[in-house]
Amino acid sequence: MGRFLLKRLGLAAITLFLLSVLVFFGAQVLPGNVARRILGPFADQAAVDALNEELGTDQPLLTQYWDWISGLLTGDLGESLALGVPVGELIGDALVNSFKLAALAFVLVVPLAILGGVVAALRRDRLTDRVITIGGLSLAVLPEFVTGIVLILVFGLWLEILPVSANAPPGSGFFTQIKYLLLPAFVLVILLFGYIARITRAGTIEALDADYTRTAVLKGLPRRTVIQRHVLRNSLLPTIAVVATQTGYLIGGLVVVETLFNYPGMGRLIVTASRQKDLPLLEAGVLVVGIVFLVAMLLADLMYSLLNPRIRYSRAE
Amino acid sequence: MTVIEEPGAPILIPTRDEAKIARRERLRLLFRSPTFVIGLVILGFWVVCAIFGTQIAPQNPQADDILNKLAPPSGDHLFGTDRLGRDVLSRVIVGAREILIMAPLATLLGTILGTAIGLATGYYRGFADEASMRLVDALLSVPVIITALLAIVALGPTRITIILVIALVFGMIITKTVRAAVLSERELDYVQAARLRNERGPYIMVAEILPNVTGPIIVEFTVRLGYAIFTIATLAFLGFGADPSIPDWGTDISEHYPFISAGVWWAVLFASLAIASLIVAINLIADAIAQTFER
Amino acid sequence: MDETQHRVDEVRRERSKLENHLIDEYVLGKITRRELVRRGTVVGMSLPLLSFIAAACGGDDDDGAATGTGGTETTATGDVQPGGTIRVALIQPTTEPNPLLVQDEGGAGMLGATGEYLSFSDENLELQPRIAESWEPNEDGSAWTFTIRQGVTFHNGATLTANDVVETFEKLINPDGGSVNAQSALGGVLSPGNTEAPDDATVVFNLDAPNGNFPTLVSSANYNAIIIPADLDPADWGQTFEGTGPFKLQNFSPQVGATFVRNDAYWGEPANPETIDVKFYAEEGPMVVAFQGDEVDFVEHFSVAGGRALLEDPNTQVIAISTATHRQLHMRTDKEPFTDARVRQAIALSIDRAALVDGLWEGRAEIGNDSPFAPLYPSTDTTVAQREQDLDQARQLLADAGMEGFEVQLDTWDGFEIPDLAQLVKNYAQEIGVTVSLKITDAATYYGDGVFGKSTWLDSVMGITDYGHRPVPNVYLSSVYTSEGTWNAAHFKNPQADQLIAQYVAALDVDSQKAAAKQIQELLLEETPVILPYFYNFLSAAKPNLQNAISAATGQFDLSRAGFTA
Repeated sequence: MGRFLLKRLGLAAITLFLLSVLVFFGAQVLPGNVARRILGPFADQAAVDALNEELGTDQPLLTQYWDWISGLLTGDLGESLALGVPVGELIGDALVNSFKLAALAFVLVVPLAILGGVVAALRRDRLTDRVITIGGLSLAVLPEFVTGIVLILVFGLWLEILPVSANAPPGSGFFTQIKYLLLPAFVLVILLFGYIARITRAGTIEALDADYTRTAVLKGLPRRTVIQRHVLRNSLLPTIAVVATQTGYLIGGLVVVETLFNYPGMGRLIVTASRQKDLPLLEAGVLVVGIVFLVAMLLADLMYSLLNPRIRYSRAE
Repeated sequence: MTVIEEPGAPILIPTRDEAKIARRERLRLLFRSPTFVIGLVILGFWVVCAIFGTQIAPQNPQADDILNKLAPPSGDHLFGTDRLGRDVLSRVIVGAREILIMAPLATLLGTILGTAIGLATGYYRGFADEASMRLVDALLSVPVIITALLAIVALGPTRITIILVIALVFGMIITKTVRAAVLSERELDYVQAARLRNERGPYIMVAEILPNVTGPIIVEFTVRLGYAIFTIATLAFLGFGADPSIPDWGTDISEHYPFISAGVWWAVLFASLAIASLIVAINLIADAIAQTFER
Repeated sequence: MDETQHRVDEVRRERSKLENHLIDEYVLGKITRRELVRRGTVVGMSLPLLSFIAAACGGDDDDGAATGTGGTETTATGDVQPGGTIRVALIQPTTEPNPLLVQDEGGAGMLGATGEYLSFSDENLELQPRIAESWEPNEDGSAWTFTIRQGVTFHNGATLTANDVVETFEKLINPDGGSVNAQSALGGVLSPGNTEAPDDATVVFNLDAPNGNFPTLVSSANYNAIIIPADLDPADWGQTFEGTGPFKLQNFSPQVGATFVRNDAYWGEPANPETIDVKFYAEEGPMVVAFQGDEVDFVEHFSVAGGRALLEDPNTQVIAISTATHRQLHMRTDKEPFTDARVRQAIALSIDRAALVDGLWEGRAEIGNDSPFAPLYPSTDTTVAQREQDLDQARQLLADAGMEGFEVQLDTWDGFEIPDLAQLVKNYAQEIGVTVSLKITDAATYYGDGVFGKSTWLDSVMGITDYGHRPVPNVYLSSVYTSEGTWNAAHFKNPQADQLIAQYVAALDVDSQKAAAKQIQELLLEETPVILPYFYNFLSAAKPNLQNAISAATGQFDLSRAGFTA
């Protein structure tokens, strides 16, 4: 168990290191000159050169990389070039916002999808199953701006029951904040439902067909108890794994949703940073998203192996 | 969309003759599946639009009529007009071309790339394999849309850039699947036999193993095709399309989204439905194909 | 002798040459009363004095000035309730709040929220005194003396003196790290070290050359020129938003918004509202939606395209200001296919400007005549014939020049209505047989480094550039149309134009300005290095019960007198 954990941690660390290299050197490819971007096209070339020197962008790349990495490891993420504010603050705020939205989406979609998946499994190949599976699948592949626009039209402008911007007025209570996040959360629910439901369904079917279920039924246990005690626990395993893999996307990939609803999350922060060639913000932002993803994967693997005794004692990978 | 799927379980492939019979069986199964047929019909419709769009479309999709802009659906314009007075119906029909050129191309390139790398790393293993997989994991730990976005900001929003970026990222995903398939194949007898005959590595990979892993590859291709359409449309919506005069569903939606609050729904809804129908169609097809391989 | 006339003579004796010119023109009926007042305030004459002159010297009443300025701020000032919170939607600032670095509308809005200028340029192009109480030129307009208001304090309690003004401008025009915007307005006009404060209440600007429009160049139209404490490093301004205005900063969050509260120690009448709550929006769409959803009361700036819902909504007060904001479609005069002026004229003749104004701008724009002389400038000669669409003549010109049916690429970027304009131009050109292919990128790519050789804007054969509002056309003329102009994307080198432009800039009275303008306008129609199809209005939106909300075409807003009616 311990060896398994260590090995996974090690692999994650290596991946993270590689990511940092990719991010850093990738960002260098972004067009335009850093100081020029900040000062605009009408500034004096001398001023641009001076600013570049001040920012250290004329130093050899490896030196810059080392400065950046060592800074990160000591907790100094640098300062945003465009906004003049410490990067850590900006990312911190955006991360919290992204987590809020992700949390709400999860709270809504997981119970719904599990229910859907289990029901679909229990009514395997009948109409209910087909509707849930195909319907869920079809909704899940729609781009977020399509579902988002439709939801905004229906709930925001025609029925007028939900606000169309995700930002509650400052100082709003908990429930008001939730109300403002509902529409973007619904977009995410639609996106995730089909996939999670399908995995749950598959897991449930496997559990239903398994020996221990048959044994329990033969033992005379009522169907409901069988489901609750044996089937559910085993069908949840893949669900957990899937939920974890979605975390990375939910934290950094919501660019479209955040744009539609004017929500200041990580996705939008990264896009803004890339457009303005705000390197410190961009690099730190992408790295943070990667970290969140890898941590989530690690936790998922951990939970999976903890819950599934078969894996616990076998060799990793 | 959202997920980096874990590679599927290895597939037991029968010998050559049985394979041919199985293939025919599979096709028959496919056409009996209602979802497959529906998907094929919808896809077929859009392919026809892509090829014959300019002949089918009632009006010139680029002809502006600025004084008649944003007009609701009427007899003259079944889907209304857009912000420059152009006929929305014509733009939706002709708009199929852009996406149906870019997405399959990107997916094909990605599949070729992913297959090549997957074969190589799966067969040779060793340090290069471990290293590449770490690299792939690193690349995939960032959401696809972010990677694509950054590449476009870096290299400019041209069609080529978009195609190459998507090919690269999807290639990485496909690599994992192909690699997993190869891993199980390489232990089988026919591979050992080929090695004993002193066949070279590349020959074994391409001539022996590859034909036996076409199943997962085809499934991956169709699934990724759906994702490619999704991603390209999303990128266009975020404003990374190329020339806005060329009809393109994602770009047209992006340009007319602000008008929703003015009650102008037609410039957005029809293009959205077009994207939705195309993606759903491809996914129905992909799902049906995957199921035939699973039996 | 008439008592009034005696007094008028006395007044005139004390006035400078510049001011007397103005009075002469009014007496001779060459300018209307309105123009007298406008030009007079710019030159530094007080309103009471101007009313006296206007009344005493007869002259023409308002004869319908060329520009209909459209609904300014709203009607009655009565019935406005004191206090309250006004919520404002503002486009996201793209730079940090540093008076030297701000180059965008959102940033300008932030500067003007708490900062104050020497004077405020209103929608009639008149200058209202703020930190400066009055100003006047010397004999020939080569030095301007500003009297600084006493008893003005910064939000931190420090008293404002003339020295703060001097230091503010020195920082702005400092060649080693000043404000790019300020330098483009004051380059060649005011040099470092030539501003002095003989005492705490006086500032003297010694100009490089006589300039009749100088006060406008240091007013709120130069939006970086808020007066800040001499000892404050502009890079630190964002921490406190230090200023002297009727509102002070409560808090600021770079990606979200800012809150301002009434400054009870303001030198003037205290602001009416208690709080101003500004929210930033990355794009226009969410802004409009927020306004309709009653999440904000005032939208600082919206466009015709993006704010269609607002224009059609009877429940929205649309505030429109006539401006000189425009687009320039340049054609390189030194490169094929545009070396022949006939080809350039042909393209210009293919464009249906009336359709652009009505279709693209819903009528909220004025037709341009391919020169930067906007209808709202008093120096614009309105007798010059307006170019209109004429496809037949266009085709004929192309045939004469032997250039029938060529291809050309148009470069531009994707902001505002520019992509729409580009597509329409493409279609117009198609009608006369010219194939235009569009390459539309983003602003940073299009502008590049802003110098020849490193900027698509300045190197492209054909391109569309956006120009913000300026209260006088000097900058447009000198930077775009002169042979050495740094913004001369058309590479237009015409000695006669250079001479006429120099004449215009040096002219101190409206008459000679107009004379030079007429010649420039006609020359530009002949040569057409640049097509200038329209000047569009600056639109803001307010809730129907919000009165007295004022916007400036540069992005600042003035809500000190604003409030809600019951």
